Amino acid sequence: MSAPLAGEGATPPTKRVPALIVTHADLADALVRAAERVVGSIEDVTLLSNEGLSRDDLQDAIEACVKDWKEGGLLLTDFWGGSCHTCGSAAARRHGEVVIVTGINLPLLLDYLHNRDRLSAPDLAERLQQKGRDSIRVQRGVPA
Amino acid sequence: MSWALHRIDDRLIHGQVLVAWGARLDPARIWVVDDGVAASAWERDLFREAAPGIDVRVASVAEAATAHAAEASAPRAAFLLVRDLGTARKLGEAGAHVEEWNVGGLHYAPGKEKVNDYVYLDDQDREDAKALLSAGARLIVQDVPASRPQPLGALDPALAP
Repeated sequence: MSAPLAGEGATPPTKRVPALIVTHADLADALVRAAERVVGSIEDVTLLSNEGLSRDDLQDAIEACVKDWKEGGLLLTDFWGGSCHTCGSAAARRHGEVVIVTGINLPLLLDYLHNRDRLSAPDLAERLQQKGRDSIRVQRGVPA
Repeated sequence: MSWALHRIDDRLIHGQVLVAWGARLDPARIWVVDDGVAASAWERDLFREAAPGIDVRVASVAEAATAHAAEASAPRAAFLLVRDLGTARKLGEAGAHVEEWNVGGLHYAPGKEKVNDYVYLDDQDREDAKALLSAGARLIVQDVPASRPQPLGALDPALAP
């Protein structure tokens, strides 16, 4: 991870909001590699694919990641209603303050990385929802 | 209209169902038929919320068997999802008439043998499949609409006709 942004260095690293990214195929891995091109090497983000996993196995794999989050964390998944989301929801229900954000995209991931040391998991989730939405824009009338 | 897809898939509601089959067949209702899910308040809520804009109905096998014929003549398309061949068999034995089951995902678990990338079977699965086939149902393996449909018996020698 690159150096903290100005004003964010005071927060102890133990307060960092951890994240688990769960997606289809190797999207999580590709998103993180793309983010690393922008901000440099990234730590404290766990990646998981649903490839070949049954509901029970995916749920167990997610639960194994989130059970040690003492102060909450974020589960970032590709889309609402997919197995990554519903199994994540099932796995997270016994672990307080695990917040799920669906529809991960690269701007959302970058915003998580920039704000994970200063916001709580619920506040960060709200922010990422907005950032992810705002990042989708249409440009018409592109000059030839 | 109504029944557009009867699917055996251990993930129940998930991306292939919502996005791939959903885009093609535009279901108004998805029936999740599973005694375990139907008995659990939080699992019922989980699936009901999983498909915005679609009426998700979680039912036990007995409830679904009772409602199955009436749903067949309801307006717009409906999907029915079960997690395994055993549940499909029980639904038939409870009185629901299903001509064709889409076998969409039975993932690896210890003791199961690979049939293809997304179908793994054990002896109990094969026994349930044989019961379904001998009751006249077709079992068609196809994860998404774009892939080639194949009879389960063509992929698994133990179930060849």
